[in-house]
Amino acid sequence: MKTNEIIPRLNEVFRDVFGDSSISVTEKTTADDIEDWDSLAHISLVAAVEAEFGLRFKMREVSAMKNVGDMINLIAERGR
Amino acid sequence: MVFSRLFFIYIFLPVCLLCYALARGTKHKNTVLIIFSLIFYAWGEPVYIFLMLATAAVNYTAALFIGKYQGKVGDTAATITAVVYDLLMLGVFKYSGFILENINALFSSSLPVPDIRLPIGISFYTFQTISYIIDCHWEKVKPQRSFKDFLLFLTLFPQLIAGPIVRYSSIEKEINERTISMSDVSYGLNRVALGLAKKVLLADQLSLIAESFLGNIGGSTMLGAWYGAIAYAMQIYFDFSGYSDIAIGLGRVFGFHFDENFDHPFMCRDITEFWQRWHISLGTFFRDYLLYVPIFGKRRKYGGLFLVWLCTGIWHGANWNYIIWGLYYGLFIFIELLIGKKKMKVIPVFIRHIYSKFIIIIGFAIFYFEDLGKLGTFFKTAFGFGKNGFIAVQDKISFVNNIFLIAAAVICCFPLIRSIKDITDRRFAAKATMSSAAAVVSALLLVITSIILVDATTSPFLYYQF
Repeated sequence: MKTNEIIPRLNEVFRDVFGDSSISVTEKTTADDIEDWDSLAHISLVAAVEAEFGLRFKMREVSAMKNVGDMINLIAERGR
Repeated sequence: MVFSRLFFIYIFLPVCLLCYALARGTKHKNTVLIIFSLIFYAWGEPVYIFLMLATAAVNYTAALFIGKYQGKVGDTAATITAVVYDLLMLGVFKYSGFILENINALFSSSLPVPDIRLPIGISFYTFQTISYIIDCHWEKVKPQRSFKDFLLFLTLFPQLIAGPIVRYSSIEKEINERTISMSDVSYGLNRVALGLAKKVLLADQLSLIAESFLGNIGGSTMLGAWYGAIAYAMQIYFDFSGYSDIAIGLGRVFGFHFDENFDHPFMCRDITEFWQRWHISLGTFFRDYLLYVPIFGKRRKYGGLFLVWLCTGIWHGANWNYIIWGLYYGLFIFIELLIGKKKMKVIPVFIRHIYSKFIIIIGFAIFYFEDLGKLGTFFKTAFGFGKNGFIAVQDKISFVNNIFLIAAAVICCFPLIRSIKDITDRRFAAKATMSSAAAVVSALLLVITSIILVDATTSPFLYYQF
């Protein structure tokens, strides 16, 4: 899957999870850019992304995601 | 060896710094650091130092296997072996007495309870080796080929005994390549002086209040119980963050950049935020290696939360009060999660401050009482069901006698230095004045701390027991 196909869908997931329609993510967006994105919100986010793109992240991947770009790379590889 | 002893400050450290400065090249400097670290540890643990060395050897070897069989069965086997070994050693030396006592109580059995003394620092260095092994398994870091360099990471004396829990990934590059500037050395030494002052001038003095009111909870009044708990909360903060200041400062003097362990935790507005500011290296350890463990299916958020707080409690000590303490925090973080960040923000800030400080102070009281009967007495007393009334003359006397200490301690909970730096950094002249002033203040703090240490029998740092 291509990055430009992923970003709009991913953005919807972010808006949903954080209940904020003004969010617009890029590859460089990190947890510091979204105030409510802490370790527990990260679990909800990961679950929502997994449901949207039909894939499972490994624990090492969940733990290592440093920005949205990391997430997009994994989705590009294995997402649907 | 303890940082807050004159022997450490005026003999061990200067000799170590001198040898370090005289050694040419990073290789020799590393040798100096390892030798001094082993002496530092052996000073208090002449026997258990062999346990630490064995742990180093096991984890070093396991990581080599992980690297050799990357992604194959051998990788997984080596990872599991090392983590099981680490947890087993921690279990045997820290928890076997507690586990057997509880089995005996539960089944009315009479299994012999071994009397094992806790090896100093085992909780901290075990977590460092676990994080190293998992990072190797996750291919986040490359296994260290040199045993000497691995030993340096593990035994580096500033952080060996009570954290911060330093990740191998954060100092990997600095092991063989680090530059030490004069500003690093001056920053580091200022930080050490600040940490010593927090420990000796604040924590050790506050401990006298905490001891006299919580230590004798049966004789305390309602106000006395709260006063003791507040003093204890601040004592633990200055003790542990003081230790972290010294560790980070010494690390900097030797050219290492350790991550911060505290960020003015009492400035938090809720319990979730408190744990993002308190003992940060422990929180991030559990976040990275436990929170996302995929065993709870759809309930992984709540399952992970529960597991993290259960383990946080257990990690702190082999006693029920620590487990209650961990779950107690987990409960409030769970409640805050249910309320949601947006709704939490609607609550006025001062109410959130009162709420969070209230929960934290009670939390530290739970932390204090290893004897659950006494913890019960504390709760009764603190909530007005004690037998000594609301206030007594000894409360007033202690408060009046310690008014300056308490005022200084409360003020030091605020991010003062950062605020001053923010202002002075804007102008060059102010910045220069600030750095000279910092040096003078640090020297002054060191002198006062030393004078107090001459005839004080200071207690070791609280976190030495964990």
